[in-house]
Amino acid sequence: MSENERRGGGRPHTFTAWLRDRPDSGLDALFAARPDLITPVPADIGALAARAVAKPAVLRVLDRLDRFGLHVLEALVALGDDRLSGPWRAGGDTGTDPDALPDLLEAPAEAVRDTVGHLLATALVWSDGGRVRPVAVLRTILTTPLGLGPPLAALLDELPAEGVERVTAALGLPGGYGAGGPAERAADALARPDRLEPLIAAAGADARGVLERLAWGPPHGSVNGAARQVDVASAVSPIDRLLARGLLIATGPDTVTLPREVALHLRRGRLARRSAAHADSATNSTPDSAPGAAAGPGTAVAAAPGPPPLTGPQHTPRLALRAAAGQAFTAVRSVEELLELWGADPPAVLRNGGLGVRELRIAARALDSDEATTAVLAETAYAAGLLAADGDVDGEWLPSTGYDLWRAAEPAARWAALAAAWLRGSRVPSLSGSKDARGRTRNVLGEGLERRSAREVRVDVLDALAAAPEGCAPTAESVAERLAWLRPRRQGPAYTELVAAATNEAAVLGLTGRGALSPHGRALLAELREGGTLAEASAAEASLAPELPEQLDHFLVQGDLTAVAPGPLVPALARELALAADVESTGGATVYRFSDASVRRALDSGRGAAELTELLERHSTTPLPQPLRYLISDVARRHGRLRVGTASSYLRCDDPSVLAELAGDRRTADLALVRLAPTVLASRTARPVLLARLAELGYPAVPESVDGSVQLSRPEVRRSDAGTVAAGAAEPPQPGPAERAASVRAVRAGDEAANAERHPIDPPGSDPPRSAASHTLTVLSAAASQGRRVWIGYQDADGRASSRIVDPARVEGGFLTAYDATRAAVSRFAVHRITGVADIAAAEPAESGQRSGAAGSRTGPGPTRQGV
Amino acid sequence: MSCLIVQSDKTLLLEVDHDLAVDCRRAIAPFAELERAPEHVHTYRITPLALWNARAAGHDAEQVVDALLEYSRYPVPHALLVDIAETMDRYGRLRLTTHPAHGLVLQALDRAVLEEVVRAKRVKPMLGERIGTDTVAVHPSERGNLKQALLKLGWPAEDVAGFVDGEAHDIDLTEDGWELRGYQREAADGFHAGGSGVVVLPCGAGKTIVGAAVMARTKATTLILVTNTVSLHQWRDELLRRTSLTEDEIGEYSGTRKEIRPVTIATYQVLASRKKGVYTHLELFEARDWGLVVYDEVHLLPAPIFRMTADLQARRRLGLTATLVREDGREGDVFSLIGPKRFDSPWKEMENQGWIAPADCVEVRVTLTEPERIAYATAEPEDRYRFCASTQGKTDVVRELVARHNGEPTLVIGSYIDQLDEIGAALDAPVLKGETRVKERERLYAAFRSGELPVLVVSKVANFSIDLPEAGVAVQVSGSFGSRQEEAQRLGRVLRPKSDGRTARFYAVVARDTLDQDYAAHRQRFLAEQGYSYRIADAGDVLSGEEI
Repeated sequence: MSENERRGGGRPHTFTAWLRDRPDSGLDALFAARPDLITPVPADIGALAARAVAKPAVLRVLDRLDRFGLHVLEALVALGDDRLSGPWRAGGDTGTDPDALPDLLEAPAEAVRDTVGHLLATALVWSDGGRVRPVAVLRTILTTPLGLGPPLAALLDELPAEGVERVTAALGLPGGYGAGGPAERAADALARPDRLEPLIAAAGADARGVLERLAWGPPHGSVNGAARQVDVASAVSPIDRLLARGLLIATGPDTVTLPREVALHLRRGRLARRSAAHADSATNSTPDSAPGAAAGPGTAVAAAPGPPPLTGPQHTPRLALRAAAGQAFTAVRSVEELLELWGADPPAVLRNGGLGVRELRIAARALDSDEATTAVLAETAYAAGLLAADGDVDGEWLPSTGYDLWRAAEPAARWAALAAAWLRGSRVPSLSGSKDARGRTRNVLGEGLERRSAREVRVDVLDALAAAPEGCAPTAESVAERLAWLRPRRQGPAYTELVAAATNEAAVLGLTGRGALSPHGRALLAELREGGTLAEASAAEASLAPELPEQLDHFLVQGDLTAVAPGPLVPALARELALAADVESTGGATVYRFSDASVRRALDSGRGAAELTELLERHSTTPLPQPLRYLISDVARRHGRLRVGTASSYLRCDDPSVLAELAGDRRTADLALVRLAPTVLASRTARPVLLARLAELGYPAVPESVDGSVQLSRPEVRRSDAGTVAAGAAEPPQPGPAERAASVRAVRAGDEAANAERHPIDPPGSDPPRSAASHTLTVLSAAASQGRRVWIGYQDADGRASSRIVDPARVEGGFLTAYDATRAAVSRFAVHRITGVADIAAAEPAESGQRSGAAGSRTGPGPTRQGV
Repeated sequence: MSCLIVQSDKTLLLEVDHDLAVDCRRAIAPFAELERAPEHVHTYRITPLALWNARAAGHDAEQVVDALLEYSRYPVPHALLVDIAETMDRYGRLRLTTHPAHGLVLQALDRAVLEEVVRAKRVKPMLGERIGTDTVAVHPSERGNLKQALLKLGWPAEDVAGFVDGEAHDIDLTEDGWELRGYQREAADGFHAGGSGVVVLPCGAGKTIVGAAVMARTKATTLILVTNTVSLHQWRDELLRRTSLTEDEIGEYSGTRKEIRPVTIATYQVLASRKKGVYTHLELFEARDWGLVVYDEVHLLPAPIFRMTADLQARRRLGLTATLVREDGREGDVFSLIGPKRFDSPWKEMENQGWIAPADCVEVRVTLTEPERIAYATAEPEDRYRFCASTQGKTDVVRELVARHNGEPTLVIGSYIDQLDEIGAALDAPVLKGETRVKERERLYAAFRSGELPVLVVSKVANFSIDLPEAGVAVQVSGSFGSRQEEAQRLGRVLRPKSDGRTARFYAVVARDTLDQDYAAHRQRFLAEQGYSYRIADAGDVLSGEEI
């Protein structure tokens, strides 16, 4: 075994060395599981190791462990402590033999093996000569692994000298300093089972009861005056007797702790027990046991190797799907309606960046919905880049240019875009309306809705739902139980809140129907789970499309002057119809109502009466009712009859009686109308005022241009110029395989350089290479993907030309990230400053020859490689 | 492809020409109110009240959801289904019942709801002491107010506290030469089973007879509240004809007469009249131990009557109406104070069965002459409608229309007396107006009914509830602005089934490009929504003898 050989070489084995010896595939798996380790790419293995054991990074990966994973890890942490004494420190080696774990945990060997494999892959534990050791920082995070207290040696170390002396005396050990310190000796002596058993017996049966109560955790108990001065002779109470013998050790003024070795002895070879039946743990009011945490960290209850089953009502998959598809369609339609509304009449951006409560209420009413749902829709549109704040000082929320592209897509694709944006986003719309810590209301689209873990929770919740059979709607409780198993360290009110939000939002967006995950929801989850992006021909889209109403090109016109489109209309027709009639109700169908005003609006937009009638006839499946024809011709007849000028604000009409009517109207007194001719009236008011007043008085007029023609207008719909917003990218982007491979290469190369003697490669003597910019990019990308070393000419920011030998890692955003062999560091190069690129073979035959081997060959010791 | 489309504003669109439309209508009618019934697509609306009506009639949420899922053409949004189930679930969590020891009590099937309502500011003063965990006493006088308040809180109570029997009075139907129609019997049965509530029947379907049938079942003294005096007389005549009641047993309580008899008919107007802010005729409610109170045209019930009704909750209450939709939005008060809907029959089915005559509506547009237009344009605002509505041109058109229907009983209806006099002169027909004596009126009606008088010109005194069964043609020359209610009533004049089953004609003569036309458009929308197709014709075409 290579590790043993290495040990034989006298070099202490370290985490860094273990990491270095991992095969490339191992590093790749590590990066896949912990993408934060390569954002940015560390310079070498040393840096990687440091980052991997940093507390925040470890916490991040711990939080993703399920209950069983955490259970196994706790076992490894408990047994892998190098401060353990006695038989628990087998042969002086720290670490645990993984083959012994299944028996200790009473868990299936296969599950344990897989879990240990996973822990190794995520570098939470590492392998040292066949024994598995936890990374050191875990000791400070998992302070009471499996409900076990600190090792004897650590506890005794903390005691004052007299305390230790009393224990050594009780054990009948010699005092003073001999072989090792008194604490060490006491610990060694105490940890021996043959000595422990008589000691416990000597303390008395009632004292054993106390120990048994603490044995399965939590290991701390509270007593008054824990730091009392007692020895075997003066001991009265059971606690006194235990303290005097070092079977319990005071760790605070009111706290006593059961040492790990003693607890392990009392557990008789098992690390955990099956159930939380030890109700007496509740009597140990310990500072770190949260109420109801009987099975949480701090106690030693065996974790099941698999998640608990999901239970809930079973619906017909077909009906659940129909409900989900209906909701999905509603969501898409509502977003469109909302953005159309805001395109015409945009709400203001609040000073803190959000949307006003009143505006939200108005929008909710317009959508026939409630505010909570509208908040979800608005936030989702924002996350999908369909809605953005206009950059002006008095900002407004406007549909973005992306909205127009979105609107042109098929409904299923539109849904997929929304749902994907939601699933990837980190803003939680359901929190809007709640108060933050300072008592301020969180506004929709405003601050305070970001939750770093929102995305993870959404995926977790959908995963949980996906685990249920199709059509089954797991109850909230059973989902919560499953998530508690899956993410034991995440549990808490904030997590519960996010789970509720995710469940609710998934229902609003139609990912679920009647509580069951829909097939299109499943497909979307599968596509997006591993950081994937929505494919061009998305499976989610394909699965939803047949369930949505088909787009129609016809409607029914009725005698009450309404038109009913019994399904979504093709967009062009929908726009034309919406121009000539007012939308009265939406849903599966759309109801339009024709009125004087709506027909006039169509005429104002340049449609002719005949054109309009023809359009309706062509698309109506029912004969056009006669009153509608009359309405259109009536409005057309009157349309444009009154004309208003700009310069002097006049009002003219070919029909003298109309003007007579106007001039005679008492209500027009404020317009100061003067009759200039039988067909012309002049007004002293400004044109817009005049127009508005006339309309108000019931004389709709059209504005007229200088040459006397009718000015046409149609309602303007506005768009934001602001680019699409990548809403919320708190988590590092999930790296793809190519990126990870490049990272592995870069780290390896960096490591190679870091361990080499620091002599930068001399720049090649010839002139820096020159090549066309496009060629540069092609070659660099190719080199990055093939892992080839190239020679580049580079002009730095000060304009100095230099030439470098680099291992390109990736080319993106106009920058080349590469390991610069000339400087022995990972650098970023602006692509436009790279004057040229050439294959290394031309400049350095020896080097390139060595590197031209397969990627695997680089893991072997190269000529420049030395031990650290 | 099914026939129903569910909209997000909780309206349901039903394609009436679809094969499944009849079944679908039956399935949705219990929980959705018909709002509009034009020719191709009918609109029903699901409201909380409609859902609670369905609950009161014994339907549950599962049935409603199933009906929607079964007939909906497109997937129904999940949120809507949840909302329906939750809304329906709110009815009946609270019940008003009679406790053997404590009298009227509010009983909860869900303690949390009871805790919520007993803490509500509006409800608190109406409740008495708490009896056990799930029951609280209610002051008997607050029975109506409590129901109103609970409805506003969204927890409508089911009232099963029962009714007092009232003073018994023998009433029987005298079915000689006529018999109760099937749906009328069903309506009476439906009401009787519930004890209080509303019967919805279209104009002309014989609501009065349903009232009489209910009285015959209740056999107790009855107070009937109607909209106006004419309607009052009609009720009296109908009761005399259809029941064993005699003239001595029926009292009239109106502006002119104040009789209180075992069956008393009163107008809303007289009950709602006040002197110095005090309702002077409240004693009518106390005058006898009424066993039944009938509200005619319940959708017109004025606010003071609602308040009085709140105190009558222990008496059986029957509401009669053509529509549950109130223009003032007080449907909730009807629900909580009169009671839930007990019977509803689709208008179309009644027409198909021949109970009401089909109608053909035509709007004839008259163009004002040039001098008239100038005069109209310069008229004072308050005179403009009268001016355009009574244009000279209309008289010629009316003469032509009446001539076309020569031999058919024809009514000419208008609002302006001058115009009616002029038309009367032109047609050589008697004019019946406000100043016409009652005796003369009744003579004219009788002559018209017998066919002796082919044409009758009437003012708006004839708007309501005059039974002129043979009127087959109505010509409306002017109306009270855009009142939809009036339009329905006028149309109702010609909707009584004809002996020969012919189609009724309803003409509205309007002046083009004037207020008259705007008002007409408003009224016609109502007609179209009721399912009457209407056409527009030009006066020129009518006068030149073209077929219209």
